[in-house]
Amino acid sequence: MSKPRVAIFDFAGCEGDELQIVNLEESLLGLLGHVEVVTFREAMKERTDDYDIAIVEGSCTRPEDEEKLKHIRECASIVIAIGSCAAIGGINSLKNHLDPAWYRAEVYGDKADWFDTYKARPISAVIPIEAAVPGCPIDRDEFLHVVKTLLLGRTPDIPNYPICVECKKNENVCAFDRGEVCVGPVTRAGCNSCCVNEGTKCWGCRGLIDDPEKNAHMEVLEAHGLTPDEVIKNFQTYFGWEGDQ
Amino acid sequence: MKVISKGDFTSFVNGMIQDGSSKVVGVKEKGNAFAFGDLGTADELRLDYDVTLLPPKKYFFPQRETLLRFDRTNDSAQSVVDVEPMVIIGVHPYDIAALQQMDAVFAESNADPYYMKKREAAVIIGMNAVNTSEWNFAASMGAESVSDGYDIMLTDLGGSYAVEVGSSKGENLLLTHGAALREANGEEQAACSSYSAPVGKSLDFDAAAIPALLRAHYGNEAFWEEHSEKCLKCGSCVLVCPTCYCFDVKDEADLDLKGGERYRTWDGCLIEDFASVASGENFRGTKAARYRHRYNKKGDYLNERFGFTACVGCGRCSSQCLPDIADPVKVFNDLWAVADTKPQAIESTPAEISPGEEYSFVPRNATVVNKTAMGTTEMVLELKLDDGSELGHQPGQFVEVSAFGIGEAPISVSSSPTHRGTFELCVRKIGNVTTKLHALEVGDKVGIRGPFGVGFDTEFFKGKNLLFIAGGLGLAPLRSFFNFVLDNRADYADVKILYGCKVPGEMLFGNEVADWDARDDIDHRMTVDSCTEEDTWEGNVGVITTLIPGVDIDAEDTYCIVVGPPIMYRFVIKSLKEKGVPDDKIIVSLERRMKCGVGKCGHCQMNGIYVCQEGPVFNYADIKDVPEALE
Repeated sequence: MSKPRVAIFDFAGCEGDELQIVNLEESLLGLLGHVEVVTFREAMKERTDDYDIAIVEGSCTRPEDEEKLKHIRECASIVIAIGSCAAIGGINSLKNHLDPAWYRAEVYGDKADWFDTYKARPISAVIPIEAAVPGCPIDRDEFLHVVKTLLLGRTPDIPNYPICVECKKNENVCAFDRGEVCVGPVTRAGCNSCCVNEGTKCWGCRGLIDDPEKNAHMEVLEAHGLTPDEVIKNFQTYFGWEGDQ
Repeated sequence: MKVISKGDFTSFVNGMIQDGSSKVVGVKEKGNAFAFGDLGTADELRLDYDVTLLPPKKYFFPQRETLLRFDRTNDSAQSVVDVEPMVIIGVHPYDIAALQQMDAVFAESNADPYYMKKREAAVIIGMNAVNTSEWNFAASMGAESVSDGYDIMLTDLGGSYAVEVGSSKGENLLLTHGAALREANGEEQAACSSYSAPVGKSLDFDAAAIPALLRAHYGNEAFWEEHSEKCLKCGSCVLVCPTCYCFDVKDEADLDLKGGERYRTWDGCLIEDFASVASGENFRGTKAARYRHRYNKKGDYLNERFGFTACVGCGRCSSQCLPDIADPVKVFNDLWAVADTKPQAIESTPAEISPGEEYSFVPRNATVVNKTAMGTTEMVLELKLDDGSELGHQPGQFVEVSAFGIGEAPISVSSSPTHRGTFELCVRKIGNVTTKLHALEVGDKVGIRGPFGVGFDTEFFKGKNLLFIAGGLGLAPLRSFFNFVLDNRADYADVKILYGCKVPGEMLFGNEVADWDARDDIDHRMTVDSCTEEDTWEGNVGVITTLIPGVDIDAEDTYCIVVGPPIMYRFVIKSLKEKGVPDDKIIVSLERRMKCGVGKCGHCQMNGIYVCQEGPVFNYADIKDVPEALE
């Protein structure tokens, strides 16, 4: 059997997730034993429409992106969204709660009329996908897990429990007990609580778990001194798209 | 009693560290808290700690633990029991009490070598608590001090420690590393015997009343809903608990996709998907149900099984719960306050557990000798064990089927034990493992663990009238018994079967159903929920219960064996009772998330019952008052 052909694409994002792939180093070589990368703007100049697996970074922020995504969907049998922007809308979705006239002027200046733009959204809002690896950036081990499981013909284990589970297993001092506030209790685990392990807090880059306990969590945040406005800001850093659904 | 000066104790610990023959761990600072960790030097020890973030359980039942390594190229697997000799310094009495409870849990029936071997290789140096957290209520739970369960126990006497030796392991350790012990003088003996543990908070009543209190208030839905309303379903309370032992099992392939490991990792009943099965059914789907389960499991179910309340009062759950709803003291005291009649305290005695036979998770290999697609999503796999043995199952039992790198799934055996040489599984394509099983070809291999559980007692039913009632895929486990009865027809009295499925195209084992027609020693009726004209269906249309009123049975003297989807039982049982069938003549087989199959992982529990061990086949009379059974 010939190796599955992989194409990697980017939309509105910082390319940090693609950088994580390049940074896999030895593991990347291992991965290349199973797949052939045929399109990857960040690392090679060749490109083609003949591929089996599409890996997509970045959110969809403009109507014209939709056509490109639909074309990718037609070419690929498996589409994997990587990174917060592609998986959950990510930080780009901050703009969904800002005045369009303001951010368009801020970004495009006097050329604002030349560019069409709309609410930032994850690619799953535009095309059906087989898997999403959230995270800003993605966790390299989880990315490898997703690729391996898909090659084995199974769905990956993307947890549906909050970061707290991993924090407890890692025996972290709770960010709240260090005087921080944290959105870990509503954020999907799978990063091995990497930020809290390093002594900071969870920012929510992996998005919300299914059916999160937002009200109970908001009460916790308010009990730790946040104003309702600050609570909303805490939620909007990464949950801008999901929070509206 | 012996005494060692603190300076000499430091030398003793440093001696052990330098010796290097055992890993030496102890309580150290971690941020503004404490945790057990590897000691580089005795100076890191903080024996004045209040509580550690995680209990020392993590050394015997780690957060993530490899159970076996597999090789997909030759379908082989080897158990991995990773043991390192270890000395653990500074374990508070409540954590020692918790370890004793875990010893019972892991030793019972299918003894867990992964835990037990690590435990045997460890020396526990206990420490009577100097400080305690505000949440600690160990004294209320009788776990503020222990008389055994340690190898050495220290009590802080100011400039020195009183040293009690609890085992020969402890004595040897002191000798080997030349601990500078001396006899305690009278003053020191008095100081040691007047030691009393610090207390954070207390129950308002005798903890021995907890099981009865919980039973009396199981059905107080308002109480459980109110107390669980702010639950974040984050699982923190159960993950930090020294007496929680639930786990999930997962496969992770290596990058070469050839090798890999099957590992277990801590899970918890407060996590939303804990009791979910592949079909999407969540057997504990509400916060209140999960919250109530935690208290009842610890306070009642484990007491019933092991004779102890599985809470030692460490207070970790309370301290880690952000909405502050996990404090057992508050919950139990609130329950006590609302109890109109105060239940009596009944002292329980821990059950004597003699370790069962060791159980490793390595499956036996079986080869696919035949595969037959049927229904719309089912495949019947005929399998032969590679070691040539019979599966040796009882009808109604299940096996854990595994595909290395994908995982394991519980599947009931659908062939009768009278069918020799091979066995059959009827597999619905619904999750990762079953999708993989559908893709197998003749000659491919799968892993098999089991058979597990309690099936249909073929001896007991001899000479009895039997009415089999199967809904959908329920025919698969039922068939193992039904075919057994057909193969031993003379042993059984009147035999009837009712079989229903959603549409004619979903009918399973159609060729056998046709054979039933030809037999005059059984009576069978079929129904479909609905059909179209193209189906050319001439039988009954309607749910399975529509067949029951018309079936001619001696209601008081017929055993009704019912297997179907969860939703079916309530209605079928109601119809049977309306017909006059007594409770104890209704036999059911229940589906749950059987993850480990050996009564350890906790997923299949309905109230205090381990379905994988005590089921899946039950007499309805035994479970009709088990609230989670047929909810």
